[in-house]
Amino acid sequence: MASYSTRVRSDIARWVEAGLIDASTGQVLARDVEANQRASLSFGSILAMMAALLFGAAILIFVAANWEAIPRLVRVIVLFAVILAGYVGGAVAKTRDHAAIGEALWIIAAAAFGGSMALIGQMYHLSGDEASALLVWGAGTTLAAVALRSNPLTIAAVGIADAWMVLKGFDYFGRHDLPHLFLLMAAVLFAVSFWTRSQPARHLILLSLIFYLVLLAVDDASLTVAIPLVVGSAALFAIAVAAPGPVDRIVQLGGRLPLHALIGFLTGIAIIQFQLAGESAHIAAFTAASVVAIIGIVAALVLAGRESRGLRWLAYAGFAFELAMIYVVTLPSMLDTAGFLPAAAAMVGNRGLCVSRVGEST
Amino acid sequence: MQWHVQIGFLGWIIAGRAAILRSGKEVLLKVEPVDPRDLLRGDYVALGYDISRIPTRLIANIPAGQTRSDDTPITVRLSKGVDGYWQASAAWLGTAPGAAPADQADIAGHISSGWDLTPGTTVTVDYGIERFYLPEGEGVPIQNDMRVRPFGIRVALNGRGQAQIKALMDGDKTLFEEPLY
Repeated sequence: MASYSTRVRSDIARWVEAGLIDASTGQVLARDVEANQRASLSFGSILAMMAALLFGAAILIFVAANWEAIPRLVRVIVLFAVILAGYVGGAVAKTRDHAAIGEALWIIAAAAFGGSMALIGQMYHLSGDEASALLVWGAGTTLAAVALRSNPLTIAAVGIADAWMVLKGFDYFGRHDLPHLFLLMAAVLFAVSFWTRSQPARHLILLSLIFYLVLLAVDDASLTVAIPLVVGSAALFAIAVAAPGPVDRIVQLGGRLPLHALIGFLTGIAIIQFQLAGESAHIAAFTAASVVAIIGIVAALVLAGRESRGLRWLAYAGFAFELAMIYVVTLPSMLDTAGFLPAAAAMVGNRGLCVSRVGEST
Repeated sequence: MQWHVQIGFLGWIIAGRAAILRSGKEVLLKVEPVDPRDLLRGDYVALGYDISRIPTRLIANIPAGQTRSDDTPITVRLSKGVDGYWQASAAWLGTAPGAAPADQADIAGHISSGWDLTPGTTVTVDYGIERFYLPEGEGVPIQNDMRVRPFGIRVALNGRGQAQIKALMDGDKTLFEEPLY
């Protein structure tokens, strides 16, 4: 999709061609757009980060291979050296204005810390579960992120916390208690992300929390989780849309809080629908949930769709899902479904007419 | 700087484990094979011990009226059998009332909640020594051998009963002996 600067340049060309502005004004405008263009994506730092992640994964799999050709004490020393070189070298690179390399080195150091824990567990046959190792790894990475004020390390810490939650959440062989500690981890990391100026970490945390609630709902308490999720998301959406400026000054999500709220809303509705589907006693409730879903999607589009392309696409995807859901889970009979759909169409169409009239009159 | 905290932490783990290997009391336990699996730390043989199941009659201090276990530590007293393998001779929820005599040893374990504690049943105890990590690809042959003849694990125990695997034994033969570091 074309960026803003590309689009505005083609607009300027069109205006010049149509005689709306003269050629010299067009040139001045085009130059101004270019000068104020946001620093383009630094592919250098992205590639450095990818390389660091690949290298980190190599460290982990090398440890897992337990290769006898290298004595394990040597392996320990090499990993300790990588930790030391990674943190110190990263700090040096940062001060010399190679921020991307510095952050990449820190990521490698964090991976080496995790690899060292795996190696020690392997050396001494510690049969403790991977989850507790991930907990310590995540804590170490969080401390490093705070000390070094690093955005990538914060994201890495969130990733490790997520891995921990998934491992715990899907551990049906263990004692099967749900990873409620994740809420605390999410809160701590959310706070840390402000200090480390890590907006991506905050996005990841919000998505992870929604995933956590899905786990919770799957466990058994579907409706007691899903209904508050729907209501809470709707409230969050309303607040974020009513006062976008102040809200974003607090959460600093680049104005994308409504997007997260919509994801939460759609997820909650989907959980409710899955819970109610297929039981004839709950048809009325299922229909009500579907109506709420469509009203919610339409409201999201009308209230915030203009500002956010991402939100529009999410709303379309949610709408497609709802359409499929209503179609597949037939109401008492196909005929009833066939009746419900035009009613919904009339509702949405009516709303559309209102919006376009308002649009014309302003 | 971040590195000294992390390296210090890791070094502390190593030192603690090495200390058990160096100076812990040594016992030999009989192993029962369990299926091997493959995870973050690589190939390993999952180990079940005959002392992994403790009959409730051996547990001396079950509170009267309690029929289900809590999530709790357990101390198991081991004595050497005639075949050389150490076996459970007594157990206590929590810690043992006194130190083990010279010819016996205490091993610290953990039981999860919900085990039936009524007489005639057994509880499953975790000692933190239920895995033996091996170089890639060497787990399956050992696993297969374990099904046909007895294998053992030599374990070092420190004063608090904390267990550290020292060696994997194929009968009398030492297959893998762990260096301190």
